[in-house]
Amino acid sequence: MKPSASEAQRTQFDAGALVFVLAAAALALMVVLPLGWLFATSLQQHDTGRFTLGNYREAFTASIYLSPILNSLILALSVATIAVAVGTPLAFLMTRTDLPGRAILRVAVVAAFVTPSFLGAQAWMLLAAPNAGWLNKIWVASTGATHGPLNIYSLAGAVFVMSLYNIPYTFTFVSVALGSMPSEMEDAAAILGAHSLRRTLSITLPLALPAIVAGFIMSFLEALAEFGAPAFLLIPARAQVITTQLYLFFQYPSRVELAAAYAMPLLGVTAILLLAQRRLLGRKRYTMIGSKGARRNLIALGRARWPIFALAIVPPMLSVGLPYLALLGTSLSRSWGRGPVFGNLTFYWYHWAIFDNPEAKNAILHSFSYSFVAATIALAIATTVAFAVSRKLVPLGGLFAFVCMAPFVVPGIILAIGFFSAYSHPPLLLYGTAWILIVAFATRFLPIAFSNLMTALQTLSVDLENAAQTLGAGRIRTLFSITLPLLRTGMLSAWLLAFIPALRELSCAIFLFTPSTAVMSTVIFDFSDAGNFEAVATLGIVIMAITLVLVGAMYRFLGRSVMEAQSV
Amino acid sequence: MNSSRSRFITLTGAAAAAAGIPRIADARKQAVTDADVSKLYDAAKKEGKVVWWTAHFAQEAAEKIREAFKAKYPGIEVEFIRQTAQVIYQRLSQDLKAGIHELDVFASTDEAHYVELKKQNVLAEFQPADIDKLPAQFRSLDPDGSYQLGSLAFIIVNYNPAKIKPAARWTDLADARFKGQITTGHPAFSGYVGNWVVAMNDKYGWDYFKNLAANNPKINRSINDTVTDILGGERTIGAGPDNLSLFKKATGNSIDIAYPQDGSVLIVAPIAVLKDAPHPNAGRLFENFVYSREYSEAIVKQGHFPLRIGVPSMNGMTLERIKWMRVKAERLASGVPEVVAKWRETFGV
Repeated sequence: MKPSASEAQRTQFDAGALVFVLAAAALALMVVLPLGWLFATSLQQHDTGRFTLGNYREAFTASIYLSPILNSLILALSVATIAVAVGTPLAFLMTRTDLPGRAILRVAVVAAFVTPSFLGAQAWMLLAAPNAGWLNKIWVASTGATHGPLNIYSLAGAVFVMSLYNIPYTFTFVSVALGSMPSEMEDAAAILGAHSLRRTLSITLPLALPAIVAGFIMSFLEALAEFGAPAFLLIPARAQVITTQLYLFFQYPSRVELAAAYAMPLLGVTAILLLAQRRLLGRKRYTMIGSKGARRNLIALGRARWPIFALAIVPPMLSVGLPYLALLGTSLSRSWGRGPVFGNLTFYWYHWAIFDNPEAKNAILHSFSYSFVAATIALAIATTVAFAVSRKLVPLGGLFAFVCMAPFVVPGIILAIGFFSAYSHPPLLLYGTAWILIVAFATRFLPIAFSNLMTALQTLSVDLENAAQTLGAGRIRTLFSITLPLLRTGMLSAWLLAFIPALRELSCAIFLFTPSTAVMSTVIFDFSDAGNFEAVATLGIVIMAITLVLVGAMYRFLGRSVMEAQSV
Repeated sequence: MNSSRSRFITLTGAAAAAAGIPRIADARKQAVTDADVSKLYDAAKKEGKVVWWTAHFAQEAAEKIREAFKAKYPGIEVEFIRQTAQVIYQRLSQDLKAGIHELDVFASTDEAHYVELKKQNVLAEFQPADIDKLPAQFRSLDPDGSYQLGSLAFIIVNYNPAKIKPAARWTDLADARFKGQITTGHPAFSGYVGNWVVAMNDKYGWDYFKNLAANNPKINRSINDTVTDILGGERTIGAGPDNLSLFKKATGNSIDIAYPQDGSVLIVAPIAVLKDAPHPNAGRLFENFVYSREYSEAIVKQGHFPLRIGVPSMNGMTLERIKWMRVKAERLASGVPEVVAKWRETFGV
């Protein structure tokens, strides 16, 4: 007897359900287990392990613990606002106009993205320290002023540096959205006589709103959880933030329970942001059929081309051009403090980094292989959950979305403790192996992949999927022949957006690596911690050059359309 | 001879692997001879490697020590992690909680860590053969031998000789001529700085830091940041480490050190072998190596103060010629949290 059509559909649905159950199980292991352990820890007394609310009381009543929270909120809000304000127009210019030098700008954005922000912070210390900064010295020498105008050791300085390295999030999100957006509405507006500016403001940008909001949230959460740059720039500015305060809880005698309690409200912040995002976007309909391949005419900038280019090149110059120039100068110095004088020039550090130092080579290999696997795992889970949630195939979609987003906001130092506890006992004995780093990276950057895919799915109409199902295709078939092909760009960019931060991840890795699994960031940080700027700069340049070449090759090979989305 | 050697190996190797504690540990109050060291080496070779976590040295210095060890004891691999004292301590605490035994030799700069670890009964008690090569006052840091001396360092005044005359005494740092010139670390981030702040507080009272605050010092995290600030020209004088300052001076930078007349602060950083070390013999061999001529010579080249009698320091100074003070471990345990709280009030960070 032939199975009826509805039965066939049910078996296919069951297969889909199985995939979802697997993804949910992975989420439980990767997110719920470590965070659950942290939550339990936050409720324990230090010595006895007995239940207490005392950690929360202490963490949120003492004024010395409250001011870091205020500083962190100011920092994160400013960073996210600036990153969105710069990243959005940059993405628009690159995907929708005939701006010259787009290829250079694209490479610069990728270069900014792969640069660990603590490396960027160190470069900016060379450039804009109040007395020693090269830019200040140039200013003093050329104006005769007593001191220069820049002070990187300030809240404004930290906001500036962190914004620079957060622009790529919004930039990529918005680029993808603008690239996969069909041109019909804009064309219609054009036919109706709307000027390109009006078209942009009233059609294009509103359609890109989900991507802009996602970029804002991503930068906000990243700035909250960042340790390196605030530690370098804000301690001299005499300001503590949440992450530096958390670090202090681990000083002897360490207060792991208090640290866990102090970090928990960050999960609340994530929940609030996600709810706000839903409310903001939920009222409007942004879905469109992804009619990709529609040729779009680029907006001609005309005579403004070069002035706009001069403006557009400023952020990449500040995030990549000047910092790498400073690092290059340092890396070529015998001792950087003596400045660029004859006799101080040497290739010693390059010889050391490339030939004498086997750690650097291994670290590059580790970083790439671990990040590759981690990004793939994150993508698989994110795709499954995002699809199920956005198509309302499972109950409690909001909860699943929250679980996917939660790891991002928990600072790495805290998350590392959770991973360690969850994975240092049989049957999940991952500690000491590469897998604990892979799982940690996959978990930490799952939110980026998830957020990116949700954005992509929101701008994709369900109409085509419904049509396919009406014509008798099962869910799995619909997924593979309709949804995934349309999602291709979004998936590639999600993968890269998880892969690249994994390459530079530091705060988890530092607690989870072993000598045989050291990664790039831990190796660089070792030297920066010991004040060996020449070695830091050289390793930074060597590693970033290799990373850029490899990532560049991947972009060409995998994701031409990701950055170049529809611009030709 | 042959039979006694094989018997020793049975004891130290097989039995030690089974029990986790080698016999030599029981002999801590007895004299240990060179012959014992060569037996230890034989047993260590069977283990093949030693795992060493250190906060005593920068990456480069740690690499040089590994080279020196492997040159003296071929056949034993050295795996090390170089991190700040708090990071390696946190990692070790996690390991102990989870029952993971991956570490042999623990080298933190914070003596309080060892007091705590000893309380938890996780350190191996033993007497390294060459401990008598140390200055007498450092031969029994812990009377029970659960940890020993691992490194010596001084907190001194470091400065840029091209720009400024150094402070002769710690109290001079409050002089108006140093306004906007001073750089320090943070007592909550750095064990060295914590040590210095407790020493100053106990000698001069907290007013010392209130006066210092008037000169608007730049506050960093690590004590090594003072060297960075002086080299780069951001500041000209600091309360910094002798070792990195001397090393940077030797590599051609404009930096020098001055020993304050009212006393440099001596930092005594211990080293210990874990009771449940996976390579107990290699761990003990490594700790004993810390008292060798080769080790002291290797670290002196990196600017560190030698441990072994008879190895000259980089600048020729000796323990006898330097006026120094030392804060006891028990005082540090109570003093650091106390001064950190005051520091945050006075300096706002």
